[in-house]
Amino acid sequence: MRTLRRISQTLFLLIFIFLFVETEYSGTGQIPYPVKFFLDVDPLISISQVFASHGIPPGLPKGLAWSLVLVFMTCLLGRFFCGWVCPLGTLNHIIGKIKWKSYSITKTRAYSSWQKGKYCILIGLLVASLFTLQLVGFVDPLSFLIRSLTISINPVFNYMTNSLFLFFYKADMGFITSISEIIYTFLKDILLSFNQPYFKQGFFIGLIFLVILTLNTVRSRFFCRFICPLGALLGFLSRYSVFSLDRGEDCNSCGKCLSHCQGAASPGGDGHWKKSECLFCWNCESLCPLDVIHFRFQWPFKSQKKKIDLTRRHIVVSALGGLVAVPLIKLDLMPKNPNPKRIRPPGALSEEEFLKRCVKCGECMKVCLTNGLHPSLMEAGIEGIWSPLLIPKLGYCEYSCTLCGQVCPTGAIKELTEEEKKKTKIGLAFINKSRCLPYAFQTSCIVCEEHCPTSPKAIWFEEKEIVVRDGSVERFKLPHVDPELCIGCGICENKCPIFDTPAIFITSIGESRSKKARILL
Amino acid sequence: MREGFTRRHFIKVLFALGIGTSISPNLPSLLNSVSEAGETGERPDIAVAHGSSPGRITEAAVIALGGIKRFISRGDVVFVKPNISWDRVPEQAATTHPDVVGKVVEMCFQAGAKEVKVSDNTLNDPRRCFVRSGIEKAVKEAGGKAFFMDDRKFKEVDIKGEIIQSWPVYKDILEADKIINLPIAKHHSLSRLTMGMKNWIGAIGGSRNILHQKIHASIVDFAIFFKPTLTILDAVRILTRGGPQGGSLGYVKRMDTVIAGVDEVAIDSYGATLFGLAGKDLGYVRLAHKRGVGTMDFHKLAVEKLEIG
Repeated sequence: MRTLRRISQTLFLLIFIFLFVETEYSGTGQIPYPVKFFLDVDPLISISQVFASHGIPPGLPKGLAWSLVLVFMTCLLGRFFCGWVCPLGTLNHIIGKIKWKSYSITKTRAYSSWQKGKYCILIGLLVASLFTLQLVGFVDPLSFLIRSLTISINPVFNYMTNSLFLFFYKADMGFITSISEIIYTFLKDILLSFNQPYFKQGFFIGLIFLVILTLNTVRSRFFCRFICPLGALLGFLSRYSVFSLDRGEDCNSCGKCLSHCQGAASPGGDGHWKKSECLFCWNCESLCPLDVIHFRFQWPFKSQKKKIDLTRRHIVVSALGGLVAVPLIKLDLMPKNPNPKRIRPPGALSEEEFLKRCVKCGECMKVCLTNGLHPSLMEAGIEGIWSPLLIPKLGYCEYSCTLCGQVCPTGAIKELTEEEKKKTKIGLAFINKSRCLPYAFQTSCIVCEEHCPTSPKAIWFEEKEIVVRDGSVERFKLPHVDPELCIGCGICENKCPIFDTPAIFITSIGESRSKKARILL
Repeated sequence: MREGFTRRHFIKVLFALGIGTSISPNLPSLLNSVSEAGETGERPDIAVAHGSSPGRITEAAVIALGGIKRFISRGDVVFVKPNISWDRVPEQAATTHPDVVGKVVEMCFQAGAKEVKVSDNTLNDPRRCFVRSGIEKAVKEAGGKAFFMDDRKFKEVDIKGEIIQSWPVYKDILEADKIINLPIAKHHSLSRLTMGMKNWIGAIGGSRNILHQKIHASIVDFAIFFKPTLTILDAVRILTRGGPQGGSLGYVKRMDTVIAGVDEVAIDSYGATLFGLAGKDLGYVRLAHKRGVGTMDFHKLAVEKLEIG
């Protein structure tokens, strides 16, 4: 069984990586693989969506129904997802296996009463979402992993690989270079991103990820045991599962199982087996020298202790925490003082609805063709940290592309048809005449107009004769923006030759998702 | 075989196919095009082919000029430069017609080319441009290689132009034995029209968006630098407004024409007539004429018009 579990973990990790890599444009306007599958099966995401919207929200992607399958299977079999499927769990598992000299294995793998922390986190998150504050994305393991990979790990991997092959390319070592180029082309085809990705906050999000991985040296599966709210939810669901550990009378409490228990669920020894902590990794059964530990189907309402080690006080305090977080975070000046840079991807719901739905998984940022979507810091308030923003200076919104809506797991970004997308305004362009070449320096330039994708073009020219420095008269084309036609895609800002502070720039005013942002009668 | 097939025609056909080439399956159509051509008896400077099939008029125009073997030798590495700038479909006339590109790649291989490379430094995302223009597929079907430009392969070279001293140019173009220019005829909001000479802006890297400040002089500097072996201007559909990107099908006019030749200035000048303009109306054509890149007076050249049924 243990071998089977290892095969399952490897397989799901590989599937996860494959789907992650395939979250990219692949030659058709549609993503061919179910790239958001792992987020679809995540019941924490679907429950928080339902809680925050006080019902099944309109346009909730059908894929989230997969999470019911996981709920059902967990009720039946327990937290097998954590031990057999979860890619973050597998990563934690691998790192936790490394034997660090300074810690005694028994200590790092024994049950700690702090493990109830994850239930408190879960209660806090769910209470907050019931009061419309969606914070699940910050700690949900799948959102966390996809976000970390997208924003930080994948760019780092690309950077290292690109630099390595650039070295061989520049060194121009004949045969060696030709071999390295073949390998490089192959890697570009199957693994690397099309362009080197860059993300704002890449450093910090990467740092958090590394900290989480490193914590495995303090306690193996640190995140899974102490933090993971999805693990807590599944643990709660597994209370009456029919699959249980059966410890024989002959157990001599040697403690061998304890030092290899992934969930610190006390399979042997003095304490009771803690079902909600058990990841069904099968280590205890395989290792028991007396062969007294077995997993069996059992009538769930029998004598075994199944209560989660949680007092009423814990529950009340964490619920209160979640409750207080709502006004604390929502009492932000954002609605009264909207940030002009809060440009959302096309198809994003109205800001209030959007924040209820977005789980900050970073799928949209991974798939964005131009690398224009970045995690926000404070542009959308605390609630909106790591939600996607378009930064046109870094990457514009490609006119005929609808990928971000296709990969959004929660429908925070609606899936648009190409025709709908082309009519969706995400902002409006403004010209800074003191920086624009023809206005400021009497120099020809039509770059913004040339790139404007709408027809008729939103940027039009006023042709004007202007007296230049030597007194002669020259004709210039002075660009103007037609606010009826501009969709705010930002290609003008992106391609403006005055690139440090572009002479044409987008702000979020006029975005079609907001009635309030309307500026034209 | 058509009526009036004379010895002279036969010699012309032989010349067109190149002595020693195996008989092409397209022979009847080739004979057809040649016999319908003017009776100049000499190799024209410019061939203008009109007809409903973009591939066939492209082939006919090249044959009229003396056949692909005049331009491509056995073992050549050929770089073909279409316009793939935008994420647009062929019907929108913002990118070179895929059949024109496919046919040229096919002909290069017929002439014994070792390798035919096709690329462009696009303005929208290259992955989308290559797919939606239909060019990637057409090139692949013809056995060539369409690839995205690789940032590492732009090499700073001396252009020695009037305003452009040095600029990054794509390495494969510098290293190719022959280069073929396959522009499309389009409206352009700054240079009025973009056709042959301006197409070279897609072969270079660097901050291309500052070239607009002196667009005509820049175009001519690059046209002198690149000197294509052959230019075929795609005017199957031309973009009459909203260029260079277009969008609305209302901007597109169907001309069913290609214009082939060696003199880019003459071709651009001829191309201008499709828009109701003359070569002298275009700053870069005037300048190129003045600087001796070619002649804008195509009337003084031998122009052969072909009607391909």
